[in-house]
Amino acid sequence: MSDLHASLLNTPILAIALTLAAYLGGIYLFERMGRPSWCPAVLIGAVITAASLWLLRYEYVDYQRNVAWLTLLLGPATVALAVPLYQQRQHIFALWKPILCCVPLAAVLAALYAVLIAWLLGAPPLVLASLAPKSVTAPLAMGIMEQIGGSLSLMLGGLLITGVLTTIFVSLLARLLKITDKRILGFALGVNGHAIGIVRAFELGPTAGAFASLGMSLTGVFTALLLPLVWRLLV
Amino acid sequence: MKLLRGFLWLLGFQLLGHAIVELLTLPVSHVMAGLLLLLAWLLAKRRLNESVATASQALIPLLAMLIMPGVVGVFFVIDEFAGQWTAIMAALGVGTFLSVLTTLWLMRRFMPQEAAGAEERERKP
Repeated sequence: MSDLHASLLNTPILAIALTLAAYLGGIYLFERMGRPSWCPAVLIGAVITAASLWLLRYEYVDYQRNVAWLTLLLGPATVALAVPLYQQRQHIFALWKPILCCVPLAAVLAALYAVLIAWLLGAPPLVLASLAPKSVTAPLAMGIMEQIGGSLSLMLGGLLITGVLTTIFVSLLARLLKITDKRILGFALGVNGHAIGIVRAFELGPTAGAFASLGMSLTGVFTALLLPLVWRLLV
Repeated sequence: MKLLRGFLWLLGFQLLGHAIVELLTLPVSHVMAGLLLLLAWLLAKRRLNESVATASQALIPLLAMLIMPGVVGVFFVIDEFAGQWTAIMAALGVGTFLSVLTTLWLMRRFMPQEAAGAEERERKP
């Protein structure tokens, strides 16, 4: 019996099946909960996975090693993000001026505020590196992580929290600042809240959604190009 | 077969990115270089290859599932970062509030008015 347990834990198939089941379960629960923006489906899926690992007495490092057969697809899936970016080129060409004024500054500040606050509170370099790409979409942030170091898990956790907080703060500040322009709201959601912000933006309408995707892609590309370079100069 | 052909294109660009980054020792990830090369190629050709479109439509919705195993790790590093969580939460909370505020302010300052934004214009300083 314990042999069977050991051999099942050793095959990538169990790790992959577990991941797919947990993710689909996460989506199912997310739909049943009425698509709450404070609790993304991927977070529910992660909780289910963590609980299953604990129940199966499955070491996280072993799970990670086996599930790598599946997550290998992250590479080509990230390269594929060039396609939606290409499809948005009209928006980019039409609005190059506000984009040029806003994206670099907003992307730099999104990283800088968090790093500065954590640094002032005495966080070590490992934590700072994990927080720096917090507004970048996960696949690109994982590429940044390869370059600057940091804890992958902490970074992804921070990404989720940032995304959720962005949706809350954008709604709050839009009311306080009396901003109703869907393009601005969508853009702010995408620049700060990556994929989670986009989901919220599409609830505001297709214009907000398109601008959120645009904001997310540009912030991601800009940060992925600049942050490793700056990090190399500073550290 | 369109899916497979598109998938092969994506792998090809990822490998090309890998090779260029390693040869020139650039500070970007292999995947990021692949993305930019594919984008440059699409912009140069001014036409979206049908198989690349098919493969990207199939893969992009999977991104959330593909990052999930990494997210799971956060439950296993809670002890590792004991004592850091106040700094982490403050950085995420206050940092995100400030960056959302800045983005909204910047966009309102630089975004050209919408056609139907006459009423909005009066409110601006």
